[in-house]
Amino acid sequence: MMDGIFLQQMINGLTLGSVYGLIAIGYTMVYGIIGMINFAHGDVYMVSCYLAAIGLAVLSYFGLESFPFLILGTLIFTIVVTAVYGLVIERVAYKPLRNSTRLAPLISAIGISLILQNYVQIAQGSRQQGVPTLLEGGWRFDFAKGFVQISFTKLFIIIAAFVGMAVLTYIIKYTKLGRMCRATQQDRKMASILGINTDRVISYVFIIGAAMAALAGVLVTMNYGTFDFYAGFIIGIKAFTAAVLGGIGSLPGAMLGGLILGVAESQFSGLVNSDYKDVFSFGLLVLILIFRPQGLLGRPLVTKV
Amino acid sequence: MATSTPIDFKKVAIDVVVAALMALIVFGPIVGVVLDGYSFNLQPSRVAWMVLAVMVGRGVLSVFLQTPRGAAMLHGLESGGAGVHVRQPDYKSRLRWIIPLLIVVALVFPVFASKYLLVVVIGGLIYVLLGLGLNIVVGLAGLLDLGYVAFYAIGAYGLALGYQYLGLGFWSAIPLAAIAAALAGCILGFPVLRMHGDYLAIVTLGFGEIIRLVLNNWLDFTGGPNGVPVPSPTFLGLEFGRRAKDGGVPIHEFFGFEYNANAKFIFLYAVLFLIVLLVLYVKHRLTRMPVGRAWEALREDEIACRAMGLNHVLVKLSAFTLGASTAGIAGVFFASYQGFVNPTSFTFFESALILAIVVLGGMGSTVGVVIAAFVLSTAPELLRSFADYRVLLFGMLMVLMMIWRPRGLIRVSRTGVALRKGVAP
Amino acid sequence: MSQTFYKKGFLALAVTAALGTTGLAQADLKIGVAGPMTGANATFGQQYMKGAQAAADAINAAGGVNGDTIVLVPGDDACEPKQAVAVANKLVDQDKVVGVVGHFCSSSTIPASEVYADAGVIAITPGSTNPTVTERGLTAMLRMCGRDDQQGIVAGDYIVDILKAKKVAVINDKDTYGKGLADATSAQLTKRGVKPILEEGLTRGEKDFSALVTKIRASGAEVVFFGGLHPEAGPLVRQLREQGLKDVKFVSDDGIVTDDFVTTAGGAQFVDGVYMTFGADPRLLPGSKTVVDEFRKSGYEPEGYTLYAYASVQALAAGFAGAKSTKGEDAAKWLKAHSVNTVMGEKSWDSKGDLKVSDYVMYQWDAAGKYKQLDKQK
Repeated sequence: MMDGIFLQQMINGLTLGSVYGLIAIGYTMVYGIIGMINFAHGDVYMVSCYLAAIGLAVLSYFGLESFPFLILGTLIFTIVVTAVYGLVIERVAYKPLRNSTRLAPLISAIGISLILQNYVQIAQGSRQQGVPTLLEGGWRFDFAKGFVQISFTKLFIIIAAFVGMAVLTYIIKYTKLGRMCRATQQDRKMASILGINTDRVISYVFIIGAAMAALAGVLVTMNYGTFDFYAGFIIGIKAFTAAVLGGIGSLPGAMLGGLILGVAESQFSGLVNSDYKDVFSFGLLVLILIFRPQGLLGRPLVTKV
Repeated sequence: MATSTPIDFKKVAIDVVVAALMALIVFGPIVGVVLDGYSFNLQPSRVAWMVLAVMVGRGVLSVFLQTPRGAAMLHGLESGGAGVHVRQPDYKSRLRWIIPLLIVVALVFPVFASKYLLVVVIGGLIYVLLGLGLNIVVGLAGLLDLGYVAFYAIGAYGLALGYQYLGLGFWSAIPLAAIAAALAGCILGFPVLRMHGDYLAIVTLGFGEIIRLVLNNWLDFTGGPNGVPVPSPTFLGLEFGRRAKDGGVPIHEFFGFEYNANAKFIFLYAVLFLIVLLVLYVKHRLTRMPVGRAWEALREDEIACRAMGLNHVLVKLSAFTLGASTAGIAGVFFASYQGFVNPTSFTFFESALILAIVVLGGMGSTVGVVIAAFVLSTAPELLRSFADYRVLLFGMLMVLMMIWRPRGLIRVSRTGVALRKGVAP
Repeated sequence: MSQTFYKKGFLALAVTAALGTTGLAQADLKIGVAGPMTGANATFGQQYMKGAQAAADAINAAGGVNGDTIVLVPGDDACEPKQAVAVANKLVDQDKVVGVVGHFCSSSTIPASEVYADAGVIAITPGSTNPTVTERGLTAMLRMCGRDDQQGIVAGDYIVDILKAKKVAVINDKDTYGKGLADATSAQLTKRGVKPILEEGLTRGEKDFSALVTKIRASGAEVVFFGGLHPEAGPLVRQLREQGLKDVKFVSDDGIVTDDFVTTAGGAQFVDGVYMTFGADPRLLPGSKTVVDEFRKSGYEPEGYTLYAYASVQALAAGFAGAKSTKGEDAAKWLKAHSVNTVMGEKSWDSKGDLKVSDYVMYQWDAAGKYKQLDKQK
């Protein structure tokens, strides 16, 4: 039954899923390298939404009108500042806890999440914020059984997410930085014996995660046009679910998990009931983990004695 | 070695400049440019103050870390430290004196307390109960449970819905809620506990969210977001309200004393306090029984335990169920204390808060958990005078306490055993 | 272990110090203002505070109530029932308030009002519209706003009578307010013979509703009713339009009455034509002109619940003055027997504590991002 509605839900799901995937990268990389669930990551994404709106407002105030330059300027600004956020948070709240119990940084991350939410609320006010619609219109494909509509912003999200993923995969696979990251992920002690400054690599990972969240922040801000200081919470949990679904620690897994989650949510709310779509996605997660604990693309954990 | 080194002011200066630069990038856009519709207002002075504060703070910290004490602290952070601290065999805990003293204080307390103080303390005790329950799961058995709030919700809704559909009262709800929560723990735990620890965390998180979403969406049964009213607790069939509601007799009319709005809370406090004492005692005994030892052994090394023939699923399941039933009891108290339940009280944040109590208290340490539960549950009330900055300060408190005491407030310690003389070492 | 003891002792000291010393010794008339000052609904709490403060200042400048000056005590509940109970107890027990303006979320108002009733303190909520708030036999719990079921009738009738829709989708935000309103609306629709073809909920805090929008598209609805608040209404209407549903009429409620609705929808072009039910805009009443001008002079637009909170303080003051007593029951009895002239016009209450006249009417947004009242064309 490839009718218009089904296809439309696929597109909805893919758009949503790409955003989940981008944020999931932050969770999956940090987990892979220091085994910590970074609960503040969703709020870093929220900060990037504000930064994107601020960037847009300031740039257009200075008379930048053309869409590509406006977007490019905002992207660079947002990614740079959000990356600094990632770095500062890691230095202040997680680095001092590197050698303590595994749960200590988790609690510290929850604290950071509260701090970020309330700091942004106090600094920017509790109102809903938004950006004007930059890119209007879209393509409409008519065929026998209905039609499918893709707005340009949705197309832009999917393309930008895949470009972002491709760039990241290239960095991790083929550059020196990527090799250092992978080495640290496999064995931190061994990597540091081999002369890798693992503390710095961990900082890089936080920077990369924040940058990807920033990309998602810019895209979401453009597409949905609205956000508030609470925006990081739900999407953070969803992205985390996506990271686990795909196999935490695995980069392609994060993207795949995001897409599956997005499509599953959309199709479920389309075909069954949107009230229970979150129940469905969490149920799916529980089921997959029971039968395949390492997630879809994750490597099984083997403990050697 | 660090004692004689003079303070390197060049390094301090570099630290300060770097910190200022970072602060400028971090605070500049968010604090300095305030969005207003689609335009913005500039507020550079706020940024200047914050950057200045960061510079001063960083400068002081930088100088401090170069002093011997600072170096010692830094060293303390970098070294891990062992899990359990062993005391001298003849060590007698000062707790012998403190515990009876505390019990006396706790007994006298409601006589002098104002209602607000009483309410805050009851809230604190509920978190003590939750903390103790989760402490069994996370602290003793080492199972990371991020959906603990689900069992709490089962307890609370157990009373509310039990009253609505079955006419259950406060007293019958306590054991039934404990059983229901334990059953739920069993059903969830059985397939899940075979997994590696981290996946367990995620599955429990998912379970917690599922319970909350179902409570929120199943309008016909649970009342959805509108919540369910909860009856006031009764004592021997007597009510604590000003006027009788459900055809009962108010306690002040029965005994003929002046109506006291605190009565309901004093009663709740008393029962809750007894239950907390009971749970403390049970936990104290359990850790000395084979099953308690098995939990801790499993936490330390699962492979070794399985090689020794421990049934790891059953041992884990016992901890998981016991923790769940404690949360169920806490839920009943929460529901009757609030007089109303709805799903907003059972969000993921609540699970995170309880976990924070356990970690902050020192995993496995009972006294630490009790202290942490009081600190974290009363802190938002104590910080009320800071108005808008309340939750911000609470977050900072969490981070700072974690950095100050990464292993929790109280280190778990155990009295050593003296070897008899003449026995070969 | 001695360290533990000191810490515990210190903690106990700190608790008593912080909890025990806030009370003021003056004979001020203390009124609590309770609402979400932090958290996701903080906007509304701030509106409460602004409105209540302005009203208190005005009353104090005019000589106060029975010679006493009004002092406001803010109470933050973050829209969490647990905190609402704690703050309600703090207000009555420690701050010794004689009246309360609050709370905002019905799920906070319901448990908190039990505390106020126990303490004999009168409470007026400027914004809790859930019917249950006044349906529990509490004598001193009043409302400054309408009820969900009243609003739902207005919306349902309008959809049937004026929009003449046959296919209606009713969407809610699965929260007390939105869900209650959506249910009331769909009950009225069903009563009028137009059974909603789609009833679904969305999750508050999410921004992507495209799956739901596609479902609405598939259902062929002519009218979408949304029960909820502007953070979700904005993206929902925008995504409807972006998926090519230009002609579907969008009807919502007084949760979108704020200029931020335009911001959340991504521009005025998306809110053009949106209908909403709202109590006659208090800012347009002749009686509120001077107050509104005062607010605007100080650079604040008294939108949303600001004037509701203002009027609530006025009502409390009138109740205390009229009853010549600060007992909650007396003041409530007086208010239910008399009518009060507030910034929002003449208000009177029935025996349950609801407003006697609910003045919900239809509004429509235009392409400039402003809304105006539609003529009554029954």
